[in-house]
Amino acid sequence: MQAATAAPASQVLHRGAAAFTIEARGIERRVGLLFAVSGLALVLLMGVLGLVMRLTQATVISLSPGWFYRLLTLHGVGMITGVVLVMMGALWYALHQTVPLRPGRMFTSYGLIMAGALCVLVATLVGGFGAGWTFLPPLPFYPAGQWSTWSESVFFVGNLLVGVGFFVYCLDVLEQTTSRYGGLVRTLGWQYLRGREPEAPPPQAIAATVVAIDGLLSMAAGMTIVVGLLGRTYDAKVGFDALVAKNLVYFFGHSIANLAIYLAAGAVYVLIPRYAGRPYETTKVFVAGWAGSLLFIATAYSHHLYMDFVQPEWAQVGSEVASYGALIPVAVITIYSMTMLVWGSRYRWTLASTLLYVGLAGWAIGGVGAVIDSLIPINFRLHNTTWVVAHFHTYLILTVLLWAFAFLAHLLERNADRTTSRGGRIWTITLILVGGYGLTGTWFVEGALGVPRRYAIQPPGTSGYSLAGSIFALLLALGFLSLCLQLTPLARTAWERRHYVVVEHMDSWTGSRYRARVARGPETPRPLEALVDTGVPLASPAQLGLGVAGCVVGLAAFFPQVVDASEASIRYHHLDHAGQFLLGVMLGLVLGSLPTVSRRLGERPTLGLTAVIAAPALMMLVMVPRFYEPLERHPFEHALYHLAMAALGLVTGLGATRLGGVTGRLAAFLAVGMAVMFAAAMK
Amino acid sequence: MSLHYGDPQIAIGAVFAVLALLLAVAFFVIGVQAGTEVGFQRVHDVAYWLRKRWLALLVVIGVFVVGISLFDLPYASGGAGGRTIVKVTGGQFFWSLVPDQVPAGTRIRFDVTSIDVNHGFGLYDPHGHLIGSVQAMPGYHNKLDLTLGEAGVYRIRCLELCGLNHSTMQDTFTVTAH
Repeated sequence: MQAATAAPASQVLHRGAAAFTIEARGIERRVGLLFAVSGLALVLLMGVLGLVMRLTQATVISLSPGWFYRLLTLHGVGMITGVVLVMMGALWYALHQTVPLRPGRMFTSYGLIMAGALCVLVATLVGGFGAGWTFLPPLPFYPAGQWSTWSESVFFVGNLLVGVGFFVYCLDVLEQTTSRYGGLVRTLGWQYLRGREPEAPPPQAIAATVVAIDGLLSMAAGMTIVVGLLGRTYDAKVGFDALVAKNLVYFFGHSIANLAIYLAAGAVYVLIPRYAGRPYETTKVFVAGWAGSLLFIATAYSHHLYMDFVQPEWAQVGSEVASYGALIPVAVITIYSMTMLVWGSRYRWTLASTLLYVGLAGWAIGGVGAVIDSLIPINFRLHNTTWVVAHFHTYLILTVLLWAFAFLAHLLERNADRTTSRGGRIWTITLILVGGYGLTGTWFVEGALGVPRRYAIQPPGTSGYSLAGSIFALLLALGFLSLCLQLTPLARTAWERRHYVVVEHMDSWTGSRYRARVARGPETPRPLEALVDTGVPLASPAQLGLGVAGCVVGLAAFFPQVVDASEASIRYHHLDHAGQFLLGVMLGLVLGSLPTVSRRLGERPTLGLTAVIAAPALMMLVMVPRFYEPLERHPFEHALYHLAMAALGLVTGLGATRLGGVTGRLAAFLAVGMAVMFAAAMK
Repeated sequence: MSLHYGDPQIAIGAVFAVLALLLAVAFFVIGVQAGTEVGFQRVHDVAYWLRKRWLALLVVIGVFVVGISLFDLPYASGGAGGRTIVKVTGGQFFWSLVPDQVPAGTRIRFDVTSIDVNHGFGLYDPHGHLIGSVQAMPGYHNKLDLTLGEAGVYRIRCLELCGLNHSTMQDTFTVTAH
């Protein structure tokens, strides 16, 4: 005779959380764990490299400048990749409970990003590439004997894979959220804001949609410049406009680093309420704030170009406004609302919830440092000093990284149904806070002193700051080691509880009771809601009419007068190619949106996804002089080359129609945008 | 020449330190209060009342600081207007300044460019204060207007990662006494 013990009530969440907490599915836990563990492993490895660099600056150890810049490059790309990876998993975990995201897409993203990280690892450690994560063109092609040509290619392929991986993720998020909530305007909550609907989507869905749109825009810019750089590795005639290229690099690099924290915010909206026992619901202020974030995240990047005086002044001032503006939704909505939930809630302090709460402070303090530096006259005296390093490390270490660990701890605590000891938590958090704020504090002080960032050899008289920074970095490392040591037994308990169940037996001879562990039966999968039919990008006659008009505009790129005029410069020539590509894209959108053709094409979302990524990349890769110059000598072949541009556009347009209404339109827009940005960046 | 804090940087650092400290105290207090029990409706009412003021305060501060900043933009506009033009060229891993010395009080326009990759022209006064910077970009000329009133040797350090010897890419610019 045996009777299974009933599962106890959750020991790790607030008692009031049961009313609104949805039990995670197996797939959500697995995806979350995979991304959290992989991302954190990458981050910890990159953290060791950071410590090595700080010790080098402190002259405690000796590292050649060549190796310093290799490590600097790897540290930058690796850290951003690692934290983005964890936060992608965290938001997926939080979002998947209400939106049917596709695990296949998520694993594709994972594979692409991990392969990209591996490429960057090889390019830097083996190939010696050391142009920094910013790789501002044309620096990658001026190695000064430091790196080989192949390492440039491998590095760019690595960045491309990371960018495409995140692009795939964002497309899936956008496609599924807009399907689930009925179009972009509804998903962003704008109908609710205007009073036309009584309810808005949950906070995490709105945050995820904003992140997806900004992620897609910035990844398109990134893919454009990286493919251009890749083209340069096999054709030395490719030239870049330094200003446009810099805009594209920072739009890509700044945005992906910045989006890590916004991805995290979406997950935090779900996690903190579980410990505060108070649900977090969408309000009109929330919707308006995230609408602002949609704009500010996309435009704030250009504060990196404040000291590029040739950037138009309206763009500089616009960036200043956007950089300050980005603070307002963060300060008024995310941080404020989360502290409001916590206040007087009898907050359930566990390892995860403590890290979540402490992370809020990091965003606030790092944000103040960032806003100060985003004022142009101040930036004039702090630009590219270690002040910049200080503010972004404050919110990357003391917010994003803490939230990354918090997410992993949440998964483990939920499965283990216990947390760690209070004493252990206090010591760990104290070590992290003292080490973290001490480390970033030394950079703030050095930055105010005018110490430049990215120096393998520090200016005379400043190595003491680096030494102090190294000591704090060691304390920080001890803090994270302690954190890992606390998570390990938690993981063991979680694993045991997930795979085994304790049952109580009664000995029929003696009548005594005893407990035994038996394997848990397979979990009954909770079905996902079916995906809503999303339609096609050009659904109405008016939209089809616009598509045809787009074709007519694109057709102009084939007129002999236009083709001749475009020979005036490489930029105009590429712009003409972009026009031909536009014709193909619009034609593909129109054809693929026609009901008869659409039915014949079938759903094929994976094929559509591949087409909207591969065809524009191929279009840009063949736009190098080495490829098109020989063809230009033969009119027929030249005409075929131009037709090929339109054909690649056609494939893109048809592919976009397989991605649904909103996502299809945006994917087509981004593809044409990539062609135009490519033309602008070349000279 | 070692580095020293300039007056603006000390003020910037002090403002940041005060704000960071205030935030740390606020989070500590909220963290302590988190252990108590207050009805959510009460928290909700007070917090939303306060939030409107918080938003207004941030907007006012934003308008003020961004507005003030517009009067002190470092961007040169128009012709040189009688300024002495100093042509600055950056290259891996050197600076070229023509002329490389001017009398004190000269109104200067630094015309900054690069022959290869992006560099950062960071100008440090004779006391080691960072007094301003501008990027040196291939294919572009960035123009920085400054009047250097104090005689002495100014140092230029590269402020944009430009390759292997980035941290040793330095030169000097001399301002002579009248």
